[in-house]
Amino acid sequence: MTLTTITAKPAPEETQTCWSCGAMRASHFCEACGKVQPPAPVDYFTFFGLPRKLNIDVVALDKDFYELSRKLHPDLNARAGSQEQGWSLQQSSRLNDAHRVLKDPIKRTEYLLKLEGVELEEQSKSATEKARATGQLKEQVVPPDLLEEVFELNVQLEELRMNKKMGEDDPALVEEIGRQKLELEQKHEALLEELKGYWKQWDALIDREQSGQSVSQDERKQVRDKMVGLLNRRNYIRNLVRDVSEALEG
Amino acid sequence: MSYSEKVIDHYNHPRNVGSLDKLSNDVGTGLVGAPECGDVMKLQIRVNRDTNVIEEAKFKTFGCGSAIASSSLATEWVKGKTVDEALSIKNMDIVKELSLPPVKIHCSVLAEDAIRAAISDWKKKQETAKPLAVEAK
Repeated sequence: MTLTTITAKPAPEETQTCWSCGAMRASHFCEACGKVQPPAPVDYFTFFGLPRKLNIDVVALDKDFYELSRKLHPDLNARAGSQEQGWSLQQSSRLNDAHRVLKDPIKRTEYLLKLEGVELEEQSKSATEKARATGQLKEQVVPPDLLEEVFELNVQLEELRMNKKMGEDDPALVEEIGRQKLELEQKHEALLEELKGYWKQWDALIDREQSGQSVSQDERKQVRDKMVGLLNRRNYIRNLVRDVSEALEG
Repeated sequence: MSYSEKVIDHYNHPRNVGSLDKLSNDVGTGLVGAPECGDVMKLQIRVNRDTNVIEEAKFKTFGCGSAIASSSLATEWVKGKTVDEALSIKNMDIVKELSLPPVKIHCSVLAEDAIRAAISDWKKKQETAKPLAVEAK
């Protein structure tokens, strides 16, 4: 059985010789003698032999994952030397981490942004510093209309908590908050679809790069920033939905 | 992590909680949010048109103790300052005053953003109000 991605042609810098039989090998184990190789310090995309693109064939990923799991499983290598067993264990745990992150659309995007050097809080701070220096108003990550909505909803939640404390009941308020919660959840879902649109833009840049065309830092940054903004909005809504649920149940 | 005494004091006795009429011409409103934690902060100022001095400041913050303390402190600090003086308040001043730990620095950033947003809103109102005043003469 062949792996769909791992057997893809390795980049020259990833090509090394097997510690055991000396054959050239692509990745986690030697294709000639099957021995597990010491883990290479690579990111999760490279681990699966994937380019840093966001639209991933999850079915193929899962397939590679299960196949690799079997081949790298420490139990299967129980008869191997202790060093090889250790590598097997390390590779397995890295495999699990990589699979968990790449499988999930949000975690995958966040991971890629991290690889691209995005630090969310750092960004907010430097934007404030820029606003201070230029006198220009800082562009808020969360758009104004969403902020208004969040603020009003919080006012209502406060009222709801107060009511509960006093043992009072306000069915109309509970209903209104429930309705807004539903709306937020829909918005939360819709943002995932919007994110997929940005994936396309990002992947197109990577494709261009791989075909030898140049991609400017600005182009990368533009798509990156759009994804950062969207994830921030999404997290914001997620936290709010959590608060609403707590207040309704509490 | 434990809160500093000053944070707890502001949290238990927040200064200047409330709201001002956001439609009023001498009121500036700043509404900002921190996506890292879901906080939302509203800070409002009433500015004397002749002296540019901030005579009143109110806030309402939904968030953690540090966010509440940062905005409470911000309203205290801007009161009595001119608009330009208030713009010189930096988030690190708030961090120092409240002994905020690194993980809570974003709360102070939020408070500085709120001050700037409120002042910017007020300035915008003055620009649009000016031509009307000239016409009235």
